[in-house]
Amino acid sequence: MDDKRRRFETQVLPHLDAAYNFARWLARGAGDADDVLQEATLRAYRAFDALRVSDVKAWLLAIVRNCHFTALQQRRRRSQVPLPEEHDPLDGAAMISDTPSPEATTMQLDDARTLNELVQALPADYREVLILREIEELSYREIAAVINAPIGTVMSRLARARACLKGKWLETVEGAPRAVR
Amino acid sequence: MLCAESLRVQAHFDGEVDAVAALEIERHIERCAECRALQQQLEQTRVALRRELDYHRVPATLEARVRRALPGPPRWQWAAGRSFWTGALSGAGLATLAAALAVFLWLPMRAAPLVDDLMSSHLRALMSAHPVDVVSSDRHTVKPWFAGRTDVSPAVADFAAQGYTLVGGRAEYLAHQRAAVLVYQHGAHLIDVFAWAADGAWPWRSNERMREGYRLLSWRQGDIEYCAVSDAGPEELQVLAQLIQRIP
Repeated sequence: MDDKRRRFETQVLPHLDAAYNFARWLARGAGDADDVLQEATLRAYRAFDALRVSDVKAWLLAIVRNCHFTALQQRRRRSQVPLPEEHDPLDGAAMISDTPSPEATTMQLDDARTLNELVQALPADYREVLILREIEELSYREIAAVINAPIGTVMSRLARARACLKGKWLETVEGAPRAVR
Repeated sequence: MLCAESLRVQAHFDGEVDAVAALEIERHIERCAECRALQQQLEQTRVALRRELDYHRVPATLEARVRRALPGPPRWQWAAGRSFWTGALSGAGLATLAAALAVFLWLPMRAAPLVDDLMSSHLRALMSAHPVDVVSSDRHTVKPWFAGRTDVSPAVADFAAQGYTLVGGRAEYLAHQRAAVLVYQHGAHLIDVFAWAADGAWPWRSNERMREGYRLLSWRQGDIEYCAVSDAGPEELQVLAQLIQRIP
């Protein structure tokens, strides 16, 4: 039995759901996330020998993130038409219309859907720390390792992300005509 | 959110401060209305996100693709959920086999409540003062004890010589029947080996999965389904499983 493959399957693959969920929230779409997960798993496997097994999850998520950015750059280079700037905070605001269409109003009745859309619309920097902290329950230190930033940055970004989401939420829910709740 | 303590309030909320700092921050929150509001907002956001945000689990087909692409021979056991079938069928690439795979992939979900039952039984036993109902390393004591108390009569043996000491046995209600539990001590680990009459709900010959840091290794012998549950390592459980399988 191949020992490396066996160790990889017991130590790394249990985090495949977390890796995929993270990829989905980074990529804002399913097709790209599939490719990112595939590439990230292969990269992880190649790097696995050198790994000291202290924090496999954060390590795998960091690889997922790197693969996501590589794929993003490649897509941008290929297409001459510039894609929407992922880091532009206005990007998020632009996706939430000030004057909701009838469809949008109906959607706002659904809290879960609204919340998902608001998180989707957050700037990528905010989105990733929120997912890592609130959904994957990573510590500040682990998040710092995943996004390759100092812990201080993690703290301030997390604070801004939470405040931003709360703000958008209030804006969306209370801004809705004849708010239902 | 202008209070200078807001980041520390957040850190406290995220469980990132030590006990001394936590006390300081809690005192501050009592005095500062702004930070009280912040704490409430953090709590609300967290609850909403954890309850409502979509969690995208790997689709079975994608996981199969990911595993197929890995170099090296696939592990033949069922590792962490789904690898046995995907591994066994890797490279087959036939539409019919893919369809068969799809049919089998829902089985782990069906078996999940059983995993829950096994886990909670094991944890309850660990927490209680009496992980065993009958204390004995003698199979001539344990095996008769099961008679009348459980619906199956599993093979019983002590493996103290190999490092697995039979501590005793326990009866548990599991898979809608009275299951037998053999309790082994291995170093610092307590290993529960559950045995119940096979009903086809868990059709794999060998099967290993992790749940909350505990490892479950299951196999079938004749008409009896076995599952070893412990925080011991994979090899340690494998060895015990092989020992039990070799009981005449």
